[in-house]
Amino acid sequence: MSADNAGVIHDIGYRAYEGSRLGRAQIVRALTWHSLRSAFGFGRGAKAKIVPVLTFVAICLPAIVSAVAVALNSQHIRPISYDVYLPQLRIFVLIVFMAAQAPDLVSRDLRSHCLPLYFARPIERIDYPVAKLIAFFTALLVMIEVPLLLLYVGTATQLHTGSQVWHETKALIPGLLLGVAWAALLCGLGLLFASFSGRRAYATGAVAIFFILSLTLATVLTGIGQGPGGGTGLAKLAGLISPFTVLDGARQWLGGTTHGIVPNPGGYGGLYGLMFLVFLAVGIGGLIFRYRKVGVA
Amino acid sequence: MTTHTAAQAATQTAQQPVIAATNLTKTYQGSVRALDELTVAVPTGITALVGANGAGKSTLIKILLGLLPATSGAATVLGFDCASQGSSIRTHTGYMPEHDCLPPDVTATEFVTHLGRMSGLPATAAKERAADSLRHVGLYEERYRQIGTYSTGMKQRVKLAQALVGDPQLLLLDEPTNGLDPAGRSAMLDLIARIGTEFGLSILVASHLLGEIEQIGDHLVALDGGRLLRADTISSFTKASEFLLIEVDEGSDLLAAELTSRGLKPVGYQRGLLVQMDGESSFDVVRDAIADLGLPLNRLEQRRHRLEELFSDTGSEAVAYEAKATEAKGAGDVR
Repeated sequence: MSADNAGVIHDIGYRAYEGSRLGRAQIVRALTWHSLRSAFGFGRGAKAKIVPVLTFVAICLPAIVSAVAVALNSQHIRPISYDVYLPQLRIFVLIVFMAAQAPDLVSRDLRSHCLPLYFARPIERIDYPVAKLIAFFTALLVMIEVPLLLLYVGTATQLHTGSQVWHETKALIPGLLLGVAWAALLCGLGLLFASFSGRRAYATGAVAIFFILSLTLATVLTGIGQGPGGGTGLAKLAGLISPFTVLDGARQWLGGTTHGIVPNPGGYGGLYGLMFLVFLAVGIGGLIFRYRKVGVA
Repeated sequence: MTTHTAAQAATQTAQQPVIAATNLTKTYQGSVRALDELTVAVPTGITALVGANGAGKSTLIKILLGLLPATSGAATVLGFDCASQGSSIRTHTGYMPEHDCLPPDVTATEFVTHLGRMSGLPATAAKERAADSLRHVGLYEERYRQIGTYSTGMKQRVKLAQALVGDPQLLLLDEPTNGLDPAGRSAMLDLIARIGTEFGLSILVASHLLGEIEQIGDHLVALDGGRLLRADTISSFTKASEFLLIEVDEGSDLLAAELTSRGLKPVGYQRGLLVQMDGESSFDVVRDAIADLGLPLNRLEQRRHRLEELFSDTGSEAVAYEAKATEAKGAGDVR
């Protein structure tokens, strides 16, 4: 039968692909872009866009309100700081965003068992988690940095002198850099917990429970430490439990002076820096390890 | 004569095998041998990879795709080494997994386009080829619907389309008729045969259903317990021999002795005897033997040596039978 005809393509409409093929890096880029779109619900129905849009609006609204406040205020004083923004709101919004959207990036593919289809294509095993990490990092960056930029634009456009604008820019830069640190830390952990289950509800639960529980525990223990019976050591060390408090402690260790969600760790500051690296490694390394282990069929 | 030319074609194409494995061994957890010193060459064309569940078919496919390292031995696909050139293999190979692997909440077009991108096609080419592949597998307007609304047959077609989208030279299809009704099975088999013969792609079809595979394949590779049972052209498997199954209510042993004395080589099979046919005269010999002994004849059935008989109900029994049948056949040839 076909042994005799092998290589002969009959004219029945089948067209071979003659064009160039993308390399591995370009395929990873395509997967990253696809994942970034899905982090905000693009390419899917209207329902998938509800949470991303609401959280984005919620986190940007204060920056817009601030711009109005700056305009009405004769001194042009910005009510929100760049380095912590509104910590409680930002943490709440990011937990909701991660819990809702991280499963979209990883647990959907686990649920539908389509990973073998990716791995049977010319990418390597590690490329999948790397693309997902870059995509979620970028998505979190959008959620964290866009409000800061809005805040900056809203303030800077109402300033009159160049030195004022320069002063404002100098204040913004540490905020942006901290935002990068936030996105890097949270993208790994968020995806790692979301990849525990192919069932969306469980994945969402795992992300939410991890971040809420660790933060609650850190806050409560810090509170106890600051109370009359507690030692100061507890107050300064309790923040090591949660990624959010670690980020805030590390910020103060690096010289941040704005009042945040944990007391200044002082001499323990180095531990916050170390813990930041531990969380970063656990999140990113854990996710990559997770996908080394996943079965191909 | 047909057998002769087919065998010749097989040796010719075997010179440039699409897939070649040498002493391929895969051990899981140090003890379970999924593949055991497998050496086989798969020529161009449609090749059926048959074996009972657990015979090592899926393990072989995963090693061929470079997704699973072999414990020892080597394999090449399209001339690329499975251990070191996996991504080159995967660029030119389409894989259709056995299990369900489709997300329910996207349309077939979106999904196949995305996987086309993942196969290395630029955006526009991916879109065009996704539409083409879906049309080739027989999905037209349905392709704009979400996959969750599809029937099992349509889902299998989407799985086939995603394997085709990257313009492969080789398709590895793992149980493509799984879960389909008889009509769906024959439609899927027709489709595979068409892709093989008309599109000129080489196809390796893994299946545990031998009867359907022999309809479309050119070659057959039979695995049992991770070992190669046999690799040959389908025609040599099916046309090799014809047998007569004789069942008598009593006196099977007497009949066996009588037939042996008359020059036939009966082999015990299930509740009867299996005799290799040696032309029309064999019928007379059998008839006379039964009549002379006066045995109550229950059943007389002419059988083609079918692929199912490679593996009857239990694996080991099948191998034993295969050996016996071949032995009987060989003895007949000598005579």
